Amino acid sequence: MDFSTFMQQMVNGISLGSMYALIAIGYTMVYGVLRLINFAHGDIMMVGAFVAYLANSAGVPFEISVVIAILAAMLTGILTDKIAYKPLRDAPKISLLITAIGISFFLENLFNVLFGGVPRAFAAPEYLTKILHLGSIVIPVTVIIVPVVTGLLLGITLLILNKTKYGMAIRSLAFDIPTVKLMGINADFIIMLVFAMGSALAAIGGIFYAISYPSIDPLMGILVGLKAFAAAVVGGIGSVTGAVLGGFILGFTEIVVVAFMPELGGYKDAFAFVFLILVLLFRPTGIMGQDLERSRF
Amino acid sequence: MKRFAKISVAVALVATVGLAKEVKIGVVLPMTGPLAAFGQTSKGGLDIAYEQNHKLKNGDTIKLEILDDRGDKVEAATATKRLIDKNKVTVILGEVASGNSMAMAPIAEKSKTPMITHASTNPRVTKGKKFVTRACFIDPFQGAIGAKYALDNGYKTAVVVVDAKQDYSVGLAKAFKKAYKNGGGKVVGTVLINSGDKDFNAQVSTIKAKNPDIIAFTGYYPEAALMARQARAVGVKAPFIGADGVGFPELVKIGGEAVEGFMYSDHFNEKAASSDVAKAYIEAFHKKYNKPADSMGALAADAYNMILAAMNKCIDEGKAPTDKICVNTNLRNTKNFQGVTGVISIDKNGNAVKSGVVNEVKNGKFVYKTTVNP
Repeated sequence: MDFSTFMQQMVNGISLGSMYALIAIGYTMVYGVLRLINFAHGDIMMVGAFVAYLANSAGVPFEISVVIAILAAMLTGILTDKIAYKPLRDAPKISLLITAIGISFFLENLFNVLFGGVPRAFAAPEYLTKILHLGSIVIPVTVIIVPVVTGLLLGITLLILNKTKYGMAIRSLAFDIPTVKLMGINADFIIMLVFAMGSALAAIGGIFYAISYPSIDPLMGILVGLKAFAAAVVGGIGSVTGAVLGGFILGFTEIVVVAFMPELGGYKDAFAFVFLILVLLFRPTGIMGQDLERSRF
Repeated sequence: MKRFAKISVAVALVATVGLAKEVKIGVVLPMTGPLAAFGQTSKGGLDIAYEQNHKLKNGDTIKLEILDDRGDKVEAATATKRLIDKNKVTVILGEVASGNSMAMAPIAEKSKTPMITHASTNPRVTKGKKFVTRACFIDPFQGAIGAKYALDNGYKTAVVVVDAKQDYSVGLAKAFKKAYKNGGGKVVGTVLINSGDKDFNAQVSTIKAKNPDIIAFTGYYPEAALMARQARAVGVKAPFIGADGVGFPELVKIGGEAVEGFMYSDHFNEKAASSDVAKAYIEAFHKKYNKPADSMGALAADAYNMILAAMNKCIDEGKAPTDKICVNTNLRNTKNFQGVTGVISIDKNGNAVKSGVVNEVKNGKFVYKTTVNP
């Protein structure tokens, strides 16, 4: 493998890794607060991408459709919380996990019924689909934008969590919900806020995913949701920075397998998940994860 | 009491002779999921064929029981079991993807229910099966079409793209490589992908380094469209050649300019069709959908009509159209059946022997290039 091909593969790794990272941070944030693995996260991502597509096809400018999509995803997240999670707030966590899977199936099939299952082409403005040339290395502009967006969102999320009153309430909820309620904080409102934030992150992730791989269908969230979940677990679920790290590790693993062992390329997912198992064998809490009983922001 | 018995006999007679019965055909298709275009186009053609004819010679009416398997092997097997056990269908029609048909075939075989796949081309679908038939050609033939066409047009080196998750792709790639090497071509590399994946940057970077004359893509359209885009983005100039898994409007919708010049072998092109049966079908298709007739729909229509022909033959033989053994025997003995996609004869392995075409994407349209006979 010559140098430029090697560099190209590194660029590919950054591209895929940052995509997983972007989606994984939403996953991990909800978990950090509620100890709930929101399996519907990948599907809320799909809702975001679909709404952006539908609004854009209806003639709304792309930037405004993105805003509409984020709002729609937030609404979906909040409604999901109100309908499926809130009544089970005091139930065992396993019941919540099951409803999360139920919501995931519901969203997939709802969009299947409403819009059909045939993949659609996602159109994005030229400045987001441009391709830059650096010598013989080709860099799609999203490879630069996605890590920047990921970093920006990571910064904003950390800022909200650490510097605002609401953030303080979110962090305290992660410790102990009953006590927080006794302090006079509206716990349900704060949890709603968490879902809104998580869903907004999912929608942004979904839209960037659709820009990079412009084919969307109602089941698009399943595989990428699973990968983002794996990334969050590798990084240490609950840790936002860990999710970013996990995303990059997973992305690079996939690219490296295909690049250096092309005859095993069909098994790249297996490699990624074997890696996940190995990490968990030696560090059950993930790379950045610490004590499971403490908040880890 | 006597009178009552007479009446009931009369009622029974009327019920069996006078009233037409329903004969059920079970259909398993990927109506949703990544391969939804396969199911949607197949059903489009099936609907036309059904509207044209859904009565048997003895006045019985055909009823279609359509189940969606989301393009999933396990779901395809479950749907087949349900159609046989619960819906009591006489025949199973489906699937498109070979891997899914291979999940269904053992179930049909075991319950002695005739199954006909309209579009699964992997030889193993019918191999060793007495109750599985197909309305399409098989991949050794299709791979040879692609290899010959590539070589005839001066493409001497190829990288083969294999979808490791699809039996169809694995078989087709093998057939292509064999025919390509025998014809004097050189396979300079093989790259693997998984259906459902969207990122092929690592693979296209590898292809770029190998610099082949042509890229033989043996997978399905969702991956073909995205891979072509990513290949053009990194500056891969070599054209693609694929097979019947790529010729769908979504290839162009998602692939855009990147799929210009994408060549592929297929079962049918309406420009090459000349028979009366084909003309009637194409006219009805244009009237209903207002777009060119596709190959999956045409194949589904042929499979459906082959089932009807087999059932009618059973009626001629004095047997019930719901007699599974009889329907299967007649289905397997189909000879010189005039279908929409051409003249179909079933060989001793249950495979159709028929011609294929080569199409190419030009200005976003599928343009007919040539017809290849077996």
